[in-house]
Amino acid sequence: MVSFQVQLYSVLRSKLAEASVNLEALDGVTTGELLDALCDHYPVMAPYRNIMRLAVNQEYALESRIIRAGDELALITPVSGG
Amino acid sequence: MVAEKSNKRWVSLSKARLDVTAAYQFLQTPAAGGIALFIGTTRQWTDGHETTLLMYEGYEPMAQKEMHRLLDVAMTRWPIHRACILHRLGEVPVTEASVLVGVATAHRPEAFEACRFLIDRLKVQVPIWKQEHLTHGQVNWIEGNEPPETTVT
Repeated sequence: MVSFQVQLYSVLRSKLAEASVNLEALDGVTTGELLDALCDHYPVMAPYRNIMRLAVNQEYALESRIIRAGDELALITPVSGG
Repeated sequence: MVAEKSNKRWVSLSKARLDVTAAYQFLQTPAAGGIALFIGTTRQWTDGHETTLLMYEGYEPMAQKEMHRLLDVAMTRWPIHRACILHRLGEVPVTEASVLVGVATAHRPEAFEACRFLIDRLKVQVPIWKQEHLTHGQVNWIEGNEPPETTVT
């Protein structure tokens, strides 16, 4: 198992009162599996499951994307810049 | 402040006030017959609620990359001579500019089209969020309408 650190922004950072969370998962977990695990562990994320993305190394990742130890991860809820 | 400038594109995220004159000067080139500039500003009234300021935060390194990626796409679709995307972070009071998108092209239609594309896609793709601060102290995160498109990797 690997401990993945996931950065939080905006509404999720406010709701969890943390700038990042850590979650244990298998090295080689997919993005979709990690999003499911995050929502199980942090129910406040669950309403965002279908509209948030995981950014892997600063790119929006497909749910099939495999994540490795050391990847930079961030949760991106629908953005509102501009 | 994160800023990158070449002779063809200028991308910046900064807490400083946006400098419209500097953007216009950057976009000026003898090859251009038209320059389109869009400036997004903090609006005072929304659905009867009074805003005092908007506070912007970004996942800055990724926001910078996405802004460049949008420029890459725009430059393959339209014959753009120069383009800039400048976004302010932190507090933006009512009437002040939060974002500036500018495009210089030979003719006016592609300047309008590319500028519209860049601001519309920025509002879906670039990881920046705003929090509205209302009178009476209420604070709300604004959540966008649709998730960003995933890139194939």
